[in-house]
Amino acid sequence: MAISPLYALRETGINLWRNILLSTATILTIGVSLLMFGAFFLFDYAVANATQRWEGGIEFVVWMNPEATPEQNANILDAITTSPEIRDYEYVDQNAAYEEFKEIFSDTPELIEVVTPEAMPPSYRVVPVDPDADVVEELAGQFDGRPGVKTVVSANDTIRGIQDLADRAGLFLFIGSFVLLGAATLLILTNIVSAIRNRGQEIEIMKVVGATNWFIRIPFMLEGVAQAVTGALLSWAGLWAFDRYVIEEFSDPDGLELLAGFQVSDNEFFTTSILVLAIAIVVSIVGSLVAVTRYLDA
Amino acid sequence: MIKLEHVTKVYKGDNVALRDSTVDIGKSEFVFLVGASGSGKSTFIRLLNREEIPEHGQIFVAGKDIAHLGSWKVPYLRRNIGYIFQDFKLLPNKTVAENVAFALEVIGKPRHVVKKQVPAILELVGLSEKVDSRPSELSGGEQQRVSIARAFVNRPLILLADEPTGNLDPQTSVGIMKLLDRINRTGTTVVMATHDRGIVDTMRRRVIELDRGAIVRDQARGVYE
Repeated sequence: MAISPLYALRETGINLWRNILLSTATILTIGVSLLMFGAFFLFDYAVANATQRWEGGIEFVVWMNPEATPEQNANILDAITTSPEIRDYEYVDQNAAYEEFKEIFSDTPELIEVVTPEAMPPSYRVVPVDPDADVVEELAGQFDGRPGVKTVVSANDTIRGIQDLADRAGLFLFIGSFVLLGAATLLILTNIVSAIRNRGQEIEIMKVVGATNWFIRIPFMLEGVAQAVTGALLSWAGLWAFDRYVIEEFSDPDGLELLAGFQVSDNEFFTTSILVLAIAIVVSIVGSLVAVTRYLDA
Repeated sequence: MIKLEHVTKVYKGDNVALRDSTVDIGKSEFVFLVGASGSGKSTFIRLLNREEIPEHGQIFVAGKDIAHLGSWKVPYLRRNIGYIFQDFKLLPNKTVAENVAFALEVIGKPRHVVKKQVPAILELVGLSEKVDSRPSELSGGEQQRVSIARAFVNRPLILLADEPTGNLDPQTSVGIMKLLDRINRTGTTVVMATHDRGIVDTMRRRVIELDRGAIVRDQARGVYE
């Protein structure tokens, strides 16, 4: 005979209410740990978006004029391919540049609407043999001002610094969130064990009269899931605030040009939120299962 | 209804609780288990409810070998066995009616069945006037009646009672025994562990005596000793 949803909800509510202080502590811990976990992902997305064009060892970009002649383009290409100081390069044509622009500014469709592929400058993204900042600066200078070249931009120490800082901050968030998730799992387990002990006589009666193990287990497991889902909802609110007041502040057009593109798309935010919820459910099921199998069936 | 064949139960430290016991209890029988403390009475009852598993032998309840029953089938076995505790084990935060209904709710009985069966069983045990009382508002005898109502509300084939009068005065115990006798007359097999000489001698039902885990006497219409 199946467990009645009303019965399961009532018993879950009773369990949560009886341990209200521990339940609240558990929910807050889960919320904070998931917020850190989600913030790690959002931060990572934002940094990846901001430094997208500097991935893969690219140290400087030669932006061509959209109106550059084929001969001017050929001269630049020749200079790149024949230079012994250049290990590799990638040519980004106007269509590819337009796609990248759309990806970076996916949250501002009004900007995308006024830009066409023809307006986008093609570029050569160059990987030098020696990534030393002085060498890169001198090499990039050889292209600056040549016919057909709009501008030359190099990945200077600041960008590398940002990437390095982002990696360290991300690692800190990631490890911190894992430790807190571990603590949250233990809190869920403790909470359920406490509920099981509080209801020891009830459980004994249930077993004696023939309630199945799952009938006894489900309200306790739902208790863990309810705590985790509530924690995940709290973390969603925190992630929204993190995106709105931290990430978007950095990407303010009036702010540092260096951080233009430091933003998270709606899709990335949605993916992070679902991931956070999924982790909450997995954590709660692990904690609950350990508690009920170890302490309920004994 | 109940059959033990060469059953042996040994606890940790080579403590033999039941030794090579063979016994056959028929449908509608009323059986007293007597013997000193530690003689194996409670183990006998716990084996019938599959709270314990024997080291050797077979235990048949309603034709099924419960010693080798899969653990997932145990709850379904227990739905055919009522259990009465010496200390009642009523839930203090529930009323009389809720305590009895609990036994049906947790095995998934529909609400209309619960609404029908609970008042009927409370009338049988003489507690129709106390449905909304909490256990703390009841006398010992009334609490044991609630415990019996909870054990019998699902109309089990077998009723196991572990010292049900152990916490009651002689006069109240007589009332409880009358109730168990009445239930027995409905066709339910009753197995009761007791130390109460007066009750056993008065009722003159089958008596199985245990001594250090061994059945030393099995007497129809027997007395305490």
